[in-house]
Amino acid sequence: MADSTIDHLLSVTVFLVAILLFIGLFNQTLQTAILYQRHRSLAIKCSDVLDNILLNPGIPVEWGRSNVTPTGFGLQDPEFKQYKLSPYSLMRLQSLTGTPFTYPRTGVTYSNLSMGFGNFLFVPYSTAINYSTATRLLGTNDTFGFKLSVTPIVTVSIEETHAANPLTLAIEVAGAGFPLANAEISYCFLKVNEKGGQSNPSYTSLFGTTYTDDGGSAVVNIQSIDADTAYAFIVYAHTSGLVGTGYHERTIGDTQYVLPLIDSFEDKRILLVHSYNVHDFGPPESSVFFNATFVLLTEDFTLRELPMENSTGKLGKVVYGQGTDKQWSNVTIPTYNPGILIVTYQSNNEYGVVLMPWGLSSMAFPVTFGEDSSGKEWVATDIRQVIVNTVAYQVKLEMWSLEGYQVISK
Amino acid sequence: MMRTIEVLIVIIIITAAFLISSFFAVLPSPRQVSPLNLRRLALTTLQSLDSDYALSEVVFSEPDDPVWSQLQIALSACLPPNIVFNLTVYEVHSEGGTELYVLKKSISNAESLGIQSDAASYLVASSNVTYNYRIERVGASGGGGTLYILNCTDANGWWITGYTAQSLAGDLYNLLSPYFQKTIPINNTQQLGQVLNGTALAGETLQNAVVINTCGEAVPIPSGYYNSSGVGYDASHSSYARYSYTLGQRVRQYNWTWVSIVGYPLYYVSNTGLFPNEQNDWGIYGMRSVGAAGLNAFLQGLDNQAYSYDSGWITGEPGLVYLSSNTLYYCNYYGIYPSSYQTSTRALPSSILSTYHLNVTSCIFNQVGNWIPGAVYRHASVGSTNYTGSLFALGLARTPDIRLTALGLLCDYKPRLYRSDYNATDTSRLVVLQLGQVGGV
Repeated sequence: MADSTIDHLLSVTVFLVAILLFIGLFNQTLQTAILYQRHRSLAIKCSDVLDNILLNPGIPVEWGRSNVTPTGFGLQDPEFKQYKLSPYSLMRLQSLTGTPFTYPRTGVTYSNLSMGFGNFLFVPYSTAINYSTATRLLGTNDTFGFKLSVTPIVTVSIEETHAANPLTLAIEVAGAGFPLANAEISYCFLKVNEKGGQSNPSYTSLFGTTYTDDGGSAVVNIQSIDADTAYAFIVYAHTSGLVGTGYHERTIGDTQYVLPLIDSFEDKRILLVHSYNVHDFGPPESSVFFNATFVLLTEDFTLRELPMENSTGKLGKVVYGQGTDKQWSNVTIPTYNPGILIVTYQSNNEYGVVLMPWGLSSMAFPVTFGEDSSGKEWVATDIRQVIVNTVAYQVKLEMWSLEGYQVISK
Repeated sequence: MMRTIEVLIVIIIITAAFLISSFFAVLPSPRQVSPLNLRRLALTTLQSLDSDYALSEVVFSEPDDPVWSQLQIALSACLPPNIVFNLTVYEVHSEGGTELYVLKKSISNAESLGIQSDAASYLVASSNVTYNYRIERVGASGGGGTLYILNCTDANGWWITGYTAQSLAGDLYNLLSPYFQKTIPINNTQQLGQVLNGTALAGETLQNAVVINTCGEAVPIPSGYYNSSGVGYDASHSSYARYSYTLGQRVRQYNWTWVSIVGYPLYYVSNTGLFPNEQNDWGIYGMRSVGAAGLNAFLQGLDNQAYSYDSGWITGEPGLVYLSSNTLYYCNYYGIYPSSYQTSTRALPSSILSTYHLNVTSCIFNQVGNWIPGAVYRHASVGSTNYTGSLFALGLARTPDIRLTALGLLCDYKPRLYRSDYNATDTSRLVVLQLGQVGGV
């Protein structure tokens, strides 16, 4: 009887322990499989959302050219099909990486998409589309987070290797994974004609073409350029359907200059403001005189000036103080065709040129939109190649889940 | 002891079950779980390379042409470093309804495509191929088919800034004459009077014709009968609105489609011989203002109502307007691509539909509230299904885009295009881009 009881007790105990152990083991396998399914569905969702963003222009279709908040989010160029994006819708995305700033005179805060000194792009927060609006319009709010990176495929870097007589500029052209050999390079050299005193500067332009060597390098020599000549150098590199853009400027002095701020997409209006109003370099300084010009990229990759009437504000001055003079000026872009706003400026002892793309692709500016993906538990990624007004870009979407077990970071 | 042995046997069975199920339940690698969509990447890469038709040019070049190495460089440059590719080009032969693919060239940057690959195909056509098509002409199945274009040398235009009526007439002739049985330019107001009297100019069919007024807001007026009191002139109001009324009656009588290409229809009358010393208040001589009364009188005439002078302004300004989805479809069908949005400042109100018994048969732009920025209005008397006269009014701001006029008419008449088959060889090539991912797990 005692043997039988012990046998029962031992067998039941062993059985229960074994069952619990196996439940745990099976559960582990099932849990891993379910997790994999979740990751798989996240990857599919990522691909779907990316196509959804790139293959529809949004509502209204021309929202990129207006100041309205869209009721449907999409970046496709409404005038084209397939993977062609609107250069204006891209401009209206609130940059994740650029440091925003507030212009104290108007109190307006700007999203900063600039690519360093002289290559500015500032979009007011009031018209820039923010991340929460985009997720709401895409229907992913509270369920998925994302980061959208739009970067040019072809990078063109320019370095000044000899300062004067001749000015020598070394150009390097590369793609995402390889240098771009034998690419045709069309360049535009803009020399600032500083006039001294209280007058508006002008510029003279020089165009040319050359080719990169097997390593993707090219050298351009510009004659009769002094070490104190301010200039801008804009390059378009193209081969087999790939187009990239690069730019380089030399300015004399870097404190008193003109900053272009987009005021209205709908009215194509740009504010030109004194740099001291933004950066506060010190005591009030003199007026900055400017001369604004708008140029378009033609089909043969040369830049063509689009005449602007004086009434559009192409000539003027901006001041730092709060006297009777205007603190800022308005300039109206004459077209919705993408191009570059070139503003030559001069103050008492500083002069140079600043550039602003009208349409993100004109100067191949990148933009990063969304939320930072670092620290997320599992991030699905997908990429597409797109065209933004002839310039080749790569779009990468990183997406992660905001709900579920072991798929979100704690 | 027996119970313990039984339990041990059960444990062995469950262990075996676990091992067997684990053996079959193989979990995929992380790359397979969350893959890069290589097929889409391949397709978008091909589309990017062909954005300015560079790819189309390369794939039709000889296999030893240096442009192939340029394409290889471009492919390597635009793909991420961990992606390898194999691009294969096939010549497409179509014989007896079957298609044969012949390998022409293959380029690659790796010996193998890694552990995972996917491909996309892209069909390109040679730029040397010409596609022919035959047009079904308006009126081919009987009734109408005549297009009159007002090209009156003795009348001036208004709101056609930057153009002349004659240059617009020339453009319209080039755009629309292939779609009509007969296209007749009306070269002066005397010829216009002749047509209004029901006399053909060149043996054409008068009934069911389309009349395009290229003078914008002005309309040519013949001298003589058509500017006489009670026919063209309203003496009690010193207005030529009566002419618009007569015009409306003629449109009704001959079942014409009267086309106003821009602005407020019939706002002025013009004849340089009749009004040599009068101008339209804006310095254009040979023209007299009729004002809003012109359109109201025309609609009265079209609806066979009694003439009553009405100078009430009826148009509105909806501003930015967009082509309707139907119009966008026909943009592709006929290959006419005006801008998809325009500014409308003279849109007709929807109330005219009931007031004058009109039906909108084609909306060129999306309606904005009660305003119709551009549409074809066909008149049908109460209780009748037959149309008796039509008005096609584009209430846009100046200057006119003549392609919109052509597109609007084609949207309404819908003449078919019969695409011709072609049997030329080597006209298409199939490009297959296979991408593989290397590195990682």
